[in-house]
Amino acid sequence: MINLEMTMLALSLLVCTLATAGFLLSLLIKKIELAKVSTWILAIGFLFLTLNLLGAAIHSSGWDNFGSRHFLSIYAWTISGIYLGLQLQTKTRLLGAFISPFILLFLIAAVGQGSDKNLVPPEWQGWLTTFHLVLAIAGEALFVLASAAGAMFMIQNNLIKHKKPGSLGRLLPSLGDLDRINHLGLLWGFPLLTLGMIAGAVYAALVWGSLWPADPKVIWSLAVWIVYGVLLHQRLAIGWKGSRMALLSCVVFALFILSAVVIRFCFSTVHNFI
Amino acid sequence: MIVLVGLNHKTAPLSVRERLFAGCQEQVGLLGDLQAIGGVLEILYLSTCNRVELVAAVEDVPQALKALKYFLAGQGSLTNEEAAACLYGYQDEEAIRHLFRVTSSLDSQVLGEAQILGQVKDAYRQALAQNATGVALNRLMHRAFRTAKRVRTETGIAANPVSVSFTAVELAKKIFGSLSGKKVLLIGAGEMAELTGQHLIGNGADEITVANRSLSQAAVLAEKFHGKAIGLDALDTAIGDADIVISSTGSPAPIVTEEMIRQCLHKRKNRLLFLIDIAVPRDIDPAVDGIENVYLYNIDNLQDIVDENMKNRRREALKAEQIVAEEVTHYSHWLRELEAVPTIVSLRGKAEDIVRMEMAKAQSWMAKFENGDREKVDALVNGIVNKILHAPVTVMKEESAEFSSQDIVAAARHLFRLDD
Repeated sequence: MINLEMTMLALSLLVCTLATAGFLLSLLIKKIELAKVSTWILAIGFLFLTLNLLGAAIHSSGWDNFGSRHFLSIYAWTISGIYLGLQLQTKTRLLGAFISPFILLFLIAAVGQGSDKNLVPPEWQGWLTTFHLVLAIAGEALFVLASAAGAMFMIQNNLIKHKKPGSLGRLLPSLGDLDRINHLGLLWGFPLLTLGMIAGAVYAALVWGSLWPADPKVIWSLAVWIVYGVLLHQRLAIGWKGSRMALLSCVVFALFILSAVVIRFCFSTVHNFI
Repeated sequence: MIVLVGLNHKTAPLSVRERLFAGCQEQVGLLGDLQAIGGVLEILYLSTCNRVELVAAVEDVPQALKALKYFLAGQGSLTNEEAAACLYGYQDEEAIRHLFRVTSSLDSQVLGEAQILGQVKDAYRQALAQNATGVALNRLMHRAFRTAKRVRTETGIAANPVSVSFTAVELAKKIFGSLSGKKVLLIGAGEMAELTGQHLIGNGADEITVANRSLSQAAVLAEKFHGKAIGLDALDTAIGDADIVISSTGSPAPIVTEEMIRQCLHKRKNRLLFLIDIAVPRDIDPAVDGIENVYLYNIDNLQDIVDENMKNRRREALKAEQIVAEEVTHYSHWLRELEAVPTIVSLRGKAEDIVRMEMAKAQSWMAKFENGDREKVDALVNGIVNKILHAPVTVMKEESAEFSSQDIVAAARHLFRLDD
């Protein structure tokens, strides 16, 4: 079973590499058709990844066998799922060029990780932890989407502002579509992350007797959550739109990545499985 | 053999084109007259505002060129000098190439425009209805349409707009995505603004407001778009509601100021705003472009994009010429092969005649043949004749397709005494 799982994971890595290469090439040679094909390839990768995760879920009992590898694959799976779902509604194939590198990174990291580390200690396992993890991952995946759309918005905005739409401008989605995706990412990502964090806090309160354990990851996440909350507030209540939102979501996202990396490698934390 | 005679916007001034166009319009049964010209086997007549051309399959090229030029000069009452300066005549591959280039819009005033293909199709339909075309022109026209289709799909010659108004629409799509539900404000009732407004509506924008110094003029234009007319004093509110603003007034000073836009930003909730200023002197203060989520394009900005797109089209035209060259080779190949066909037919006819005669002579002694033997002799004789003819027929086809059919056909006619 493990072998089949690993085969599926390796296959999805291979297929996603192909899709990423296709997306980047389409950006380079400025042919939208290639991005369309790459979207289909990514869909195949998504299928393999789903099989991999299904295999892992059937094979394991509870969280016993869930390790870093699975969490990283869930990240990749969620991001690709959201991207593909979005493609059913909008024609923003080129978004893949900005999203697929993240998917690929998560997959590479997943393949490099062992699954036997049993990273969620047995005494922590429970539905609340599951809830916490799944929601937090989904929320973060949506922020990845929002930020990718933001980055594309800034490029397109720059081209149009400088009166040079050219072939790249023709290739990139319209400002309106990109702003909408940014909006959707924030709108759905924030409540999911909020719920995820509440679940984590409740769990911490129940098990450790403290709502906010002085864990560096928790503190950073809280900071990120607040910043995203402010962004969403500005967007919904104040009516910030377009280039300012795009820029801010990119900055916040960079901050988020930085915090994740710094915490992963420099601090000891209860969240050290990803 | 194919010839093409005509004039176009490059060779003839408008006054000459007008005269010829009018002359050809008036003439009823023009195709009939053309068919009656000696040596013209098949004919097609194409007339657009930029060109009048005759395409014909003829027996004698120099004579046909002369006759067709004379015909056109007569229709347009051209003087000898005018005819000499304006009319061109092409033959064989040159004629085929010219027709393919015209159909593919490589010879058009606006490179890559889409109308010409429809016009050529109409011309062909007319000729077809009057039985003016035959095997050579039918095939030629189908090849021409095929070439035009290939040029459109395989090159980017028609990819990007080369008019200011379509460029504005494309930009609007790049800014808003879909134009449906977008509100358009026209300031000034100029023709250019009207045209752009029309294109925007055609692409999904659905609410048009016309603002003008004279309210009555605004009302006339607004009527056309089923929109609303306002005076310039209500401009602030109108800009607050609009997504796309097109300005083209004759005002000497800017009528849309930075202050005006900044004030309505809050009301607009920072919605994206696309401003198109096609007036000279400018109607919209250039400083507006510095505001976030506001995109201002003036006539020069749009013209630059048009120029850039035009340059791209010219680059794509080089690829298109390649396609035309391929298709010309294909067709001429087929046409030359066709020229050997009458000779092949008469060669086969002659062989069949000989067989029939010899078999008739042998009738008496074959009478005593038993059942079925006669058929066997028939099959044998036909088999031998076919085998002998196979080589000369194949060589004739191949040679005439590769080179000119004249020499080999003449040799065959001489060798087999086909002309006796």
